[in-house]
Formats: sequence, C-alpha cells, structure tokens
Amino acid sequence: MCCLTTLVYLSASLMSQDRDQAQAPSSRPVVRATAILGFEGIATNANGELSIEDDTVIFRTGKGLIARIPISSIQKVCFSEGDKQVGGTPTAMGRAAVPFGGGRVIGLFAHKKYDFLTLEYLDSNGGFHGAICQLNKGQRQVLGNELETKGVHVSALTADTAKRSSVETKNEVK
Amino acid sequence: MKLSRRASLASVTVTIAIIESVSTLAALAGANHSAAPQWSVEVKEVDAADVNIAPDFKVAIYENLLEELVKGKRFSAVLRSGDQRAKDIPGLVILKTTVESYTPGSETKRAVTTVAGATKLKVRSQLCTLEGKVVFERVVDGNVRFFGGNLRATHNLAHNVANALKQASGLRVGRERPAGQGS
Repeated sequence: MCCLTTLVYLSASLMSQDRDQAQAPSSRPVVRATAILGFEGIATNANGELSIEDDTVIFRTGKGLIARIPISSIQKVCFSEGDKQVGGTPTAMGRAAVPFGGGRVIGLFAHKKYDFLTLEYLDSNGGFHGAICQLNKGQRQVLGNELETKGVHVSALTADTAKRSSVETKNEVK
Repeated sequence: MKLSRRASLASVTVTIAIIESVSTLAALAGANHSAAPQWSVEVKEVDAADVNIAPDFKVAIYENLLEELVKGKRFSAVLRSGDQRAKDIPGLVILKTTVESYTPGSETKRAVTTVAGATKLKVRSQLCTLEGKVVFERVVDGNVRFFGGNLRATHNLAHNVANALKQASGLRVGRERPAGQGS
C-alpha cells in the first residue's frame, strides 16, 4: 500500500512536470512595439508585439491582426534611436493651451527615447518593402541578437552616431 | 395672344437648348474624369546619394510615396522597386528619387522653442521611360516645422511629390524646368 501510494505520487508529480514544461513560456523574444509603417495589413502607429518565431518576424496587434516577414526575405536590418514627445496630439494641443509658456516647460520634460527598427525585405514578386517599428529603449539588443543568430546582417547606429544626427547639420549635394 | 404663344415657344426652345448644352458639357467632363490612366509606374528605392540620411527616413519616403501614388489614382498600376511583373506591363515609367538635402530635426526642440528643430527634406524626383529618357523632373521638399514627429516630413514630401506628378499632364516627353515646392 505504501509502495503504491509512492508510485501514484511520483507518477502524478512526473505528469505535472510534463504539463509545466508544455506550458513553459518559450525563450523566443517578444517585445512591445509600435508599427510606424510598412507592415502589410497593419494600420500605421498600431501597438502590438514583435516576435521572432522559427524563421519569421511576426508583428501581432492587440486586435489579432498579424503581419509576417520571412527572415530569408530580409535584406537589411537597421536600428536607430531617437526621442519623441509623449502623449501625441492631445498632449500637444494641451501644451499649446497652457498660458505663459508653460507648455514649453512641459515639452522639455515630456519626451522619451525610443529605438527604431527598420527592416528592408522583398516580397514573393521581388518587390522591395520597408517596415519601421518603434521599440522601447534597450529592446533592440534582444531582437538584434536573435536576428544575428538567424544569419541576418544587422547594422546599428551607435549612440554617438545618433547624437551626431540630432545635431542640425545640413547635408547638401553640391 | 399669338405673340405671347410665340414668345413662350421661343423661351421653351431656348431653355431646352441651354439644358442640352449643359448636359453635354457635364457628360464630356465626366468622360474626361473617368478616363482610365494609361501609365503605370515603378517606384525605385530612394537614392541617398552623398547625403547622410537615416535608414528609417529612406524607407519612410519610399513607403509613403507608394501610398500617395496609389491614393492619387494618377497611374493605372503602382509597382514596387524590383517587382518582376513590371516587364509585362505596357506604358511603364520609372520614378527615381534622389535625396538632395536632409536636415535632421528634433521634436523636443520644436515643442520647446517653436522656431528651432525643424526636419527638412529635399529630393529630386524624376520620371523616366524604360529607355532612360527623363519625361518629368522636379525638386520637391517636405518639412515638419511645428507639430508632429520627424517622420512626418517624409509623409509631407511624398504628398508633394504626388501633387507634382499630378501636374505632369499627359506625361509629355520633354524635360521640365525643376522648381521648388514648399510644404
């Protein structure tokens, strides 16, 4: 009886382990992102999740819309960084309505740095596509590493380059 | 009595004539408007030339151009760069875009100072035949000065390029004088 109880207990614990393993979250990177433009069937500035599953980059919106980009079709991946005002148009209008230049002071603090992911890829007809995605700062490392392990050439603008680009220098072709 | 009847007949005839002429004009205008565009366009990738432009700007210009050209209905088909279907399409012209100048701006600077931080873009747009003959050429710019993110400059630019192409009536062969287009 004692042996039987032990056996049942062990088998139950083994079964629960199997279930846990099946439900364990995959190690594939999933990051919160905003599709700025270029994702087929996804509206501009749609929020969602960007992930890499098998050999596909997938953008999934909260409404269940999905855009897939096969990694084999990706020509170039580039990361850059920039800062944006938070809150969008309503906040901008609100800032404009604040008297005595108070809106400018708010604007000075109401900005946030983001990483931008730019994907260049070809469709089945050979047509060139581009897609831009906005990520929270620091998330580019996760995706960049994963894409590099899949054999994609990733070029990233360093912080210095980004700073240089934010300086207003006019480049003109003479 | 006879005189009044004649007068009324004449007025009716004049009215009918006016209505007919107006309807003919309207029909002509409608026919002109509904005429199917005879040209198709292949939009080439944006050439940055020697300008140090961010990759997301290059891609945004290209994608916004495609969107604006489709929206404008000026061309019967708008194809992406490298699309293999292009060789089967008659009346194809190629849209080449070369960046001439780019001034990176800052949304924060715009919010704080209003006058500084504008993002400015200037490109040369060329419509070429398959033989390489330039049929239309314009220098167009797109800026963001007050509200909106930096990438909005690419949207404004694409809108201006599409507007400039609308003015290229009939895509007549011959080089047009480049002219600046403010936003």
